[in-house]
Amino acid sequence: MKHVIIISLLAIFTYADNYTFLVKPYQKEIELEAKIIAEIAASSLNEPLRLFIPEMSKLEKSVYAQYATLSATCEDANFIFINKNIDANSICHAKNTLYFTNNYRKLLSDERYFGAFFWNKSRPNIVFIQRRLQAHRIHLPSSFEQFIESIE
Amino acid sequence: MTLRSLWHKSPFYFFIPTLLIAFVLLLLLSYTIKLEEQIGRKLFTISTSDLFSITQNCASQVENLLHSQQDYVEALKNDVTLQRRVESYLKTLLTPNIKYAYLVYKDDRGIFRFLSDASNKEDKAMINQKLDIESPEWFRIYEEKRPVIIHHTLLHQLSLTYLLPIQYDHQVQLVLAIDFSVQKIEEVNYVLTILKRGIIGIMVIIGVILFFLILQAIRLKDIRKNSFIDKLTGVYNRNYLQHYQDLIPLDDYIIAALDIDYFKKINDTYGHDSGDQVLTQIAQTLLTSTREKEDIVIRYGGEEFLILARMQKNDPSTPLNIIEKLFSTIQNTRFVLPSNESIQLSVSIGVNLVPQKSRTFQEAFKLADVALYNAKSKGRNTIEIYDESGHKDQRGHLSLAEIKAAIEEDRLTCYYQKIIDVETAQISHYEALLRLFDHENCIVTPDKILPSIQGTFLLRNITQKVLGVCYQQLRLHPKLCINVNLNPQDIIDETILSLLKTYAQDPLIAKRLGLELVETEDLVRKEKAKENLSMLKRLGYQIFIDDFGSGYSNFIYLAELKPDFIKIDGSIIQKILTDTISFLLVKNIVTFAKEAGIQVIAEYVSDEGICEQIRDLGIRYAQGFFFSRPEPASSLCD
Repeated sequence: MKHVIIISLLAIFTYADNYTFLVKPYQKEIELEAKIIAEIAASSLNEPLRLFIPEMSKLEKSVYAQYATLSATCEDANFIFINKNIDANSICHAKNTLYFTNNYRKLLSDERYFGAFFWNKSRPNIVFIQRRLQAHRIHLPSSFEQFIESIE
Repeated sequence: MTLRSLWHKSPFYFFIPTLLIAFVLLLLLSYTIKLEEQIGRKLFTISTSDLFSITQNCASQVENLLHSQQDYVEALKNDVTLQRRVESYLKTLLTPNIKYAYLVYKDDRGIFRFLSDASNKEDKAMINQKLDIESPEWFRIYEEKRPVIIHHTLLHQLSLTYLLPIQYDHQVQLVLAIDFSVQKIEEVNYVLTILKRGIIGIMVIIGVILFFLILQAIRLKDIRKNSFIDKLTGVYNRNYLQHYQDLIPLDDYIIAALDIDYFKKINDTYGHDSGDQVLTQIAQTLLTSTREKEDIVIRYGGEEFLILARMQKNDPSTPLNIIEKLFSTIQNTRFVLPSNESIQLSVSIGVNLVPQKSRTFQEAFKLADVALYNAKSKGRNTIEIYDESGHKDQRGHLSLAEIKAAIEEDRLTCYYQKIIDVETAQISHYEALLRLFDHENCIVTPDKILPSIQGTFLLRNITQKVLGVCYQQLRLHPKLCINVNLNPQDIIDETILSLLKTYAQDPLIAKRLGLELVETEDLVRKEKAKENLSMLKRLGYQIFIDDFGSGYSNFIYLAELKPDFIKIDGSIIQKILTDTISFLLVKNIVTFAKEAGIQVIAEYVSDEGICEQIRDLGIRYAQGFFFSRPEPASSLCD
């Protein structure tokens, strides 16, 4: 009886984050974001992904690490996702690196970004700019077709 | 019985509360879910009752504004003034619960794009900006041309998207969308939360109570189990029997009462530690010889065990085989003592094969006890089966349990019979005779008590009790002399000897307390017994040899014991007038006694003829119904 109770409690605690966010901070949005970014990055690159996100929080690190190889520095990365209000120029100047943002306006204004993932009206939105994809010779799978915009 | 048996007897005692609690919890859970659904529906109705009409009104305004245009989309894209006016209409919809209001269209690729957005600057979408929709429901509006409500069930709050078509020439050109959340009805949410928390709280409390009840039940079971286990032997004890005897299904078991033969001798010879070790080994032998889950072994007295062997359907012989098996196992086992010596033992077993014929367990047990008594009477080391037809005369015998109960409940007493000095016709002594009051307050005589307790510690307890009663009478009546019957074992029993030594500290007690003993081989052959008798005589006690002339009688040993009195056996005295041998026997005993300086008492003097005869033979003291019957203490006179 004692063993049954202990095993049950262990099992409950192990999966506690599935029932409540009191055990761990709520991370479902970050999880979704990480999955999408990892998918986009993997589809955009012809080599193994080395992701760099500036000023990552602990929670972001733990979640993103599940889906991608994180790079400690911008120079070592081949995919940079800027998801904070940071000027990309102040971070690094790597040339053969793909830049992705979480801000639609930044995407439009800064040529460096080839796409954006952002929340619009509480809905996740993805936008790729066709011209920039071509400039980076990125060939996305057809499943991304609906997100590609021919904005000039 | 065990909980297992209780379970067999009445499983509903366990099922009903468990089912009831489970049912109540389920009811509570289903009520909570239904309540939540109902409140959700009600909340939705209340919250959206005016929402739809207001939004509809806004859509009409936009439609009226664009009515003159053929292509609404292009008109809006190109006319900034129009954009501002549409946006101003949309802004009127924004409230704390309508977070977003926007106008979209579907392009040729099937992608929705913004035309107007009432959101503030940070959230505002740009014209023609793509909107990734989360549901295919959005496309339904183009087919149905009617408002569409999309519920966001995955969100924690009750929220929905309300889509209204704006048509031109029966074609949907634009879609007015609002994202609505009922979070604004905080009061309702608050009440709902309190309600939910209350119900969850009750469930938690019930759960906790249930948990502690289960915990307590387990603990109670453990405590009960411990209180029902004999610490020495590890088998069930007397408490267990008393607690569960009414629950024992008499149809299912045979009852065997087992007594270790001459156990007292083991204690006396090897010490109590050895006795305890033997008991433990016997109990283990019983446990290994019986079936673990079927049979029950109980130690209900010092060296007495009770075995309840379960009967199998269509095979009534099995339980008896088990009893026979354990009997022979004990016979063939050598029991090891703490001194590493080993001894062989035997047991006497009384079996009641038909407990179902008795009304109660006590009755059935008593019959097994009667059979045990018979086994002992036949020389021990045997199994005796209770036979209803052959034991009708035994029905008056008390069982060991009944005698124990009588001792514990202080229902033992003494009656007193006069011993007369025939020369003076005065009372010389009284003989104290054991009496027991049964539950109906009827008197039970020693012939119904003593046979079944021979060789058990109960006999010593009874002697102790009788000595105590007589001691009190001697203190109350300073001129009385009272004789007490002792058993041969009592003479070598330290407890009894210690008691007699204590009484002898008052010399006025010792010289008035006569000790009557039946002359047996044990008594005369054991040096210890002879030494103790001499010691008692030195303390001032008078020794009476009882029933002299019957059974084991030896003049030489009589000389060795040096008693003060001999009481000639009643069966000889009764025949003194009719049987020459009896007459000559008495005459010779009297002659020998006179020469040895021993006083003689004649028992069973039942009439005047016998009285005259013994007087003629020179017997000075007599006892019998001719003089008096045994009477209670109230009749004693100094």
